Amino acid sequence: MAKKPLGSTFTDVLKTFFLGRQRATLSILEEEQVQSPYRTMLRNFREKWSAMLGVYMFLAIFLAVFILPIFFPLDTQFQDPTQQNTRPTFSYMKYDKALQGNVASIDGGSVFGVGVDRDGKLYQWGTLSAKLQKMPPADKRYVQASAGLDHAVALDADGKVYTWGNDRFTLNMIPPELSSRKVKQVIAGHQISIALTEGGEIYVWGNSNLISIPVPKDKQGTFTKVVANTTLAAAITGNNELVILSSRETPFSYIPSEIQGRVRDVDLTERSAAAVTTDGRIYVWGGDDYGVMDIPAHAQGRAIAVSAGRGHFVALLDDGSVVAWGRNNYKQTNVPKLKNIVSIQSSYYQNYAVDKNGRIHTWGLKGYLMGTDQYGRDLFVRLLTGGRVTLTIGALAVIISAIIGIIIGSFSGYYGGKTDMFLMRLAEVVNAIPFLPLAMILSAIIGSRISETGRISMIMVILGLLNWPSLARLVRGQILAAREQEFVTAAKAMGITEMKIIFKHILPNVITVVLVNLTLSFALSMLYESSLSYLGFGVNEPNATWGNMLYGCNDSTVMSLYWWRWVFPAIALSLCTVSINMAGDGMRDAIDPKSIGR
Amino acid sequence: MFKYVLRRLVYIVVVFLIGSVLIFSLYKSVPGDPARLMIEGNKANMKPAEYEALYRDAVKKLGLDKPLVVQYFTWLFNTLRGDFGYSLTYKMPVRQMIGVPMKNTIMLNVWSLLPVFAITIPLGIATAVRRNTRFDSTVQVITIIGYSLPFFVIALLFIFLFAVKLPIFPISGVQTPGLRGTPGRMFLDKLYHMALPLLVMVFTSLGGLTRYVRATMIEALSMDYIRTARAKGLTEKVVIYSHAFRNALIPFITIMTGWFISIFSGSVVIERTFLWNGMGKVIIDALNQQDFAVSLAMVMFYLVLSLVGNLLMDLSYGLADPRVKLN
Repeated sequence: MAKKPLGSTFTDVLKTFFLGRQRATLSILEEEQVQSPYRTMLRNFREKWSAMLGVYMFLAIFLAVFILPIFFPLDTQFQDPTQQNTRPTFSYMKYDKALQGNVASIDGGSVFGVGVDRDGKLYQWGTLSAKLQKMPPADKRYVQASAGLDHAVALDADGKVYTWGNDRFTLNMIPPELSSRKVKQVIAGHQISIALTEGGEIYVWGNSNLISIPVPKDKQGTFTKVVANTTLAAAITGNNELVILSSRETPFSYIPSEIQGRVRDVDLTERSAAAVTTDGRIYVWGGDDYGVMDIPAHAQGRAIAVSAGRGHFVALLDDGSVVAWGRNNYKQTNVPKLKNIVSIQSSYYQNYAVDKNGRIHTWGLKGYLMGTDQYGRDLFVRLLTGGRVTLTIGALAVIISAIIGIIIGSFSGYYGGKTDMFLMRLAEVVNAIPFLPLAMILSAIIGSRISETGRISMIMVILGLLNWPSLARLVRGQILAAREQEFVTAAKAMGITEMKIIFKHILPNVITVVLVNLTLSFALSMLYESSLSYLGFGVNEPNATWGNMLYGCNDSTVMSLYWWRWVFPAIALSLCTVSINMAGDGMRDAIDPKSIGR
Repeated sequence: MFKYVLRRLVYIVVVFLIGSVLIFSLYKSVPGDPARLMIEGNKANMKPAEYEALYRDAVKKLGLDKPLVVQYFTWLFNTLRGDFGYSLTYKMPVRQMIGVPMKNTIMLNVWSLLPVFAITIPLGIATAVRRNTRFDSTVQVITIIGYSLPFFVIALLFIFLFAVKLPIFPISGVQTPGLRGTPGRMFLDKLYHMALPLLVMVFTSLGGLTRYVRATMIEALSMDYIRTARAKGLTEKVVIYSHAFRNALIPFITIMTGWFISIFSGSVVIERTFLWNGMGKVIIDALNQQDFAVSLAMVMFYLVLSLVGNLLMDLSYGLADPRVKLN
């Protein structure tokens, strides 16, 4: 037999499809030869632009959701209320150009930043709420500014305090005592503001229900510096002693006794504290997570200042370089190469370092490509991992239903009679009940006994178990038509076992139709999975799928104010199902000889 | 014919029995004790002995003390008599509770029928006649997009456009809360609330149905009698609408059965998104509140509905197409 022409086998078709057309030089006789059915199908398919577009779109989505999560891993347990519902932007550290080389004070808030230049002008950047945009009067000469969760505080050259942004929880009510005192440091914290006067007194105002910061009477008047996190504050007294300002006993209270009287600088993450002593050593105590205790060895004995974000520490060394350690989920400890730094300021996930020329260097969280959801989780990362889960569930559900459907359909079609009758009645029962309600009931009954991760496999099985009847019916019809053909009679005459006849002789003849059907039901499975998850009966939090990312989005606040929470998952899911259906539709037309219309 | 119907009825009974056993075992595998759930609220203000007595009464009342087979048959006969059990959340029999949602669902679905058919049938015919033209391929792509988009995405989009950006319609609900007025006024208010879900429902049905009409029309147009009709010199209008379309309607009967069932079942997703108090929402609420009696009663109801629907479909095939012999 002569060499087989290219494209005559199914493998060839796949090869040509994904690697492009490999032109073989053909003689005129070969050119005019009748094409193999697979080749005709391939040609028909490639001629249909919508089908090819569908294939390319799906491949792009597939590669994105299976490869990108390697670079953007999802921590399902991660939540951060300070980052909730922030819009897509990369402007958290995009400070005003005028500040560059001229900065006097700079600070980062949850999703924005504030700064003061050497001329006393106040700047802010990042995601600013309507209230934050109402800045204090521009004609004052500011010397320091601090940004908090959703408000900011500034201090002018006369020691007067200004606050803007969130004005609830009495945040806008600056204590009257401050009007007669000169303030030297202000802090905007988590719904709380703190002012430290020249006289060493600390005044606190804001949401005292959430955080209560008691100032010991005997220490009042001795403080030189104060820092705060979302639960408490810490202050250094004139004789380098450290005081934790909290009404409760917390891990923060266990200050290493050897540092008392030698504390030069201090800062707090959410669960731990770090202090720098006068001899340059760094001490960390409190909760040991995200590696906050792993102080870089070369920093010991050389530190002069420390600053902390939500879960990481940054220290300034005596040679003007900067080290960082601790939580690194937003690259907040990846310090660029810096020298001649004179001050550092870290907060939340942002870091600012100012060198001796007043130039600003930044690293850490710039913002979110697709914003964050109601728990402060990065939507882009959830979208990628969610897509992987959705596609996997869809694919495995289709495989399960394909196995059941092909087996039942084949037996039913080949044997006929009582088997056929019984199996088709079974298919009728399963098919009779509306799909979503039945899947929901099964999910509610089984789902209450298994873990959240177990639910993912459960949904696959439920979808697979309920989806087979249509395929079984299709296979049955195809087999019914094929079993009376001569090659089956011949196979029977040769004494081949029935199993072999069904699965090796008949099935390959009907496999194209089955493949088309599987492609279309892949899209359908994804739709069902996302509908179930959208209704709250599929995969639940904290696991992500495209469906459950839309759970609870049919609410006017989310719809209008937090549009990124529903727009991106909806687009991703729609693009994916549309592309699969376009490809599947093209395949169906390609294998149907009638569709060319000749 | 009569023999055929009889045989089909026997099938229906068999399938119904298989289905009912499956559903009953599902019902029994539900975690939790329905008797305890029934008297749940009374525990705090009762002596333990009284509570125990009440519990035993509840067990007896629900028939939980009898063997499973007896329970199954009691349940089956009750269901057949139309007694679908007792809703724990609504504290009333399921049959009584289901009335209003059923009416809402039927109302929404019946209203959506007219625009759906008014759009899809002409569009399907037009694309079939102008097959493989630019118009056809454009409509084909649009309809693929139409039926690929998840219902809830379309619903969210419509809410965003017509309730948030342009506040024409209410976001959700069946009726303005606390509205009292003449029946006419109440009805208008209901229509106003129905507009957006109706729009979404029509929109989601367009894609699939247009493609179906197109496929059946193409099938019909390729028949020999069409060639004959054209050869006879009939105008194209007569050929398409009189010869082809009537024959294309036959497979339509399958679709009609689907509609017949969905009129009563309601779309879970749309009713949940628009908080439309229909059958779909009843199922979701029942599942969320562990009120399994309601949801399983509804599954039984769907089962019967679809079995009857299938029978009607086959019978109407026989009536519509003289070539189909029922036996």
